Amino acid sequence: MRAIAAALAASAERREAVALVSVIQATGEFSPALGRHLVVWLDERTLLGDLQLGDLQPRLLEEARAALRERRHARLDYRTEAGAITLFVEVQPQPYHLIIAGAGHVAAPLAVMASLCDFTVTVLDDRPQYANRERFPTADRVIAGPFREELRKLRGDRPTFDPNTCIVLVTRGHQYDVELLLEVLDDPVAYIGMIGSRRRVRAVYELLERERGIPRHKFDRVHAPIGLDIGAQTPAEIAVAILAEIIAVLRKQSPERR
Amino acid sequence: MTKPFYCQLEQFLEEGLTVAVATIVQVKGSTPREVGAKMIIHPYGKHVGTVGGGCGEAEVIRAGLDVIADGQPRLVRVDLTEPISMQSMGVCGGVLDVLIERWGPEETKAQNNAMWAEV
Repeated sequence: MRAIAAALAASAERREAVALVSVIQATGEFSPALGRHLVVWLDERTLLGDLQLGDLQPRLLEEARAALRERRHARLDYRTEAGAITLFVEVQPQPYHLIIAGAGHVAAPLAVMASLCDFTVTVLDDRPQYANRERFPTADRVIAGPFREELRKLRGDRPTFDPNTCIVLVTRGHQYDVELLLEVLDDPVAYIGMIGSRRRVRAVYELLERERGIPRHKFDRVHAPIGLDIGAQTPAEIAVAILAEIIAVLRKQSPERR
Repeated sequence: MTKPFYCQLEQFLEEGLTVAVATIVQVKGSTPREVGAKMIIHPYGKHVGTVGGGCGEAEVIRAGLDVIADGQPRLVRVDLTEPISMQSMGVCGGVLDVLIERWGPEETKAQNNAMWAEV
C-alpha cells in the first residue's frame, strides 16, 4: 500500500494527472481482486499494482485514461460468465493553472482563495513592489516583469495556453489588460476574465473592432465585466465574485444560474 | 495550499500507522459531498478530510475502525433520507455509498508484484 500512496503523493506534488482504480465489489473469479488497486497515468509508463483482470485489463486502461482526460471519476462494471466486478476510477486531475495579471488589491485575496481551491497560481505584474512573495505568500509563482513578454514566457514552447489555464486580467491600467487580452484571444484557455465597467468594456471592444478589425464575436467568451454579479464592493468581495465565476465555468454550471 | 490527500496518507504510512480510507463512490439525491470525496480514518481520531460530516460521517468512522481492525474492505451505505426532525437537522435527503479500505505500511503479498522496484 505504501508504494501506491507514495506514487499518488508524488504525482500530486508534480501536479500531474493520475488515477487510482479500486474495487467496489467483486464476485466469482474476480473475488481475489477485492482490496487491490491499480495506479494509471495518462502516458504509457509502467502501471503500479495489479487487479489481475486478465483480458479485461486493456479495456480498463482505455476507460481509466478516458476518465483522466475528462477529469471525472468513473464507475466501471465488467461481467463475464465466471463473475462480475465493479471498479471505481478515482481521478486526481492536474490542477487548473490560474494566471493573475496585475498584483493589486483584488489580486492579493484572489491568489489566496484560489490556492485554497487547489489552483496552481501565478501572479504577474511589472512592479516588483507589488509582485513579490510578501504580498503573495501562497502563490506558486510571482513574476515581476513586462506583462506581455512574461505572459509569452509562461506559454513556453507551446503554441497556445491549454484548456487547463484560466486567465484573470486585473492590471492597474486598461491598456495592459487589453494588450494581454489580444495576446491570448485565440488561445483555447478555460477562462478569460477582464476587469472594467460595462461601459468601458464595450468601448474597448468597439475600438478594437474599428481600429484593428477584430470581429466582435471573438470577445464573446471573455468574461467582462469580470466576476459574478453578487454586488461585490471591496477588493476581497470582488475576488470572491471572480473566483465564483471561474468555478461556475469550470464546473460547467449553466449560464442562467450564473 | 492544503496538503494533498495522498501526501498526508503517505506520511501516516511512513509513521508506521495503519489507517482506513473512505471514498464516496456513488450518490443518489442530495448529498453533502460529491463522488470522489475522501477521508482518512485515523486509529486515534486524527481523521483527515470529510465525507460530509454529521451522523453519516460518524457511521463511516465507526466502520473505518472496524476495517482497520480486520482488514476487510467494506461498502457502507449512508442513508440521509429520514424525514427532517429536530433530532436530525443535518439530513440532506440523499444516499451515499462509501468504499472503506485499509491502508497500512506493510507491502502485503496481495499488493505486491514485480513493479514495486520501480517506484
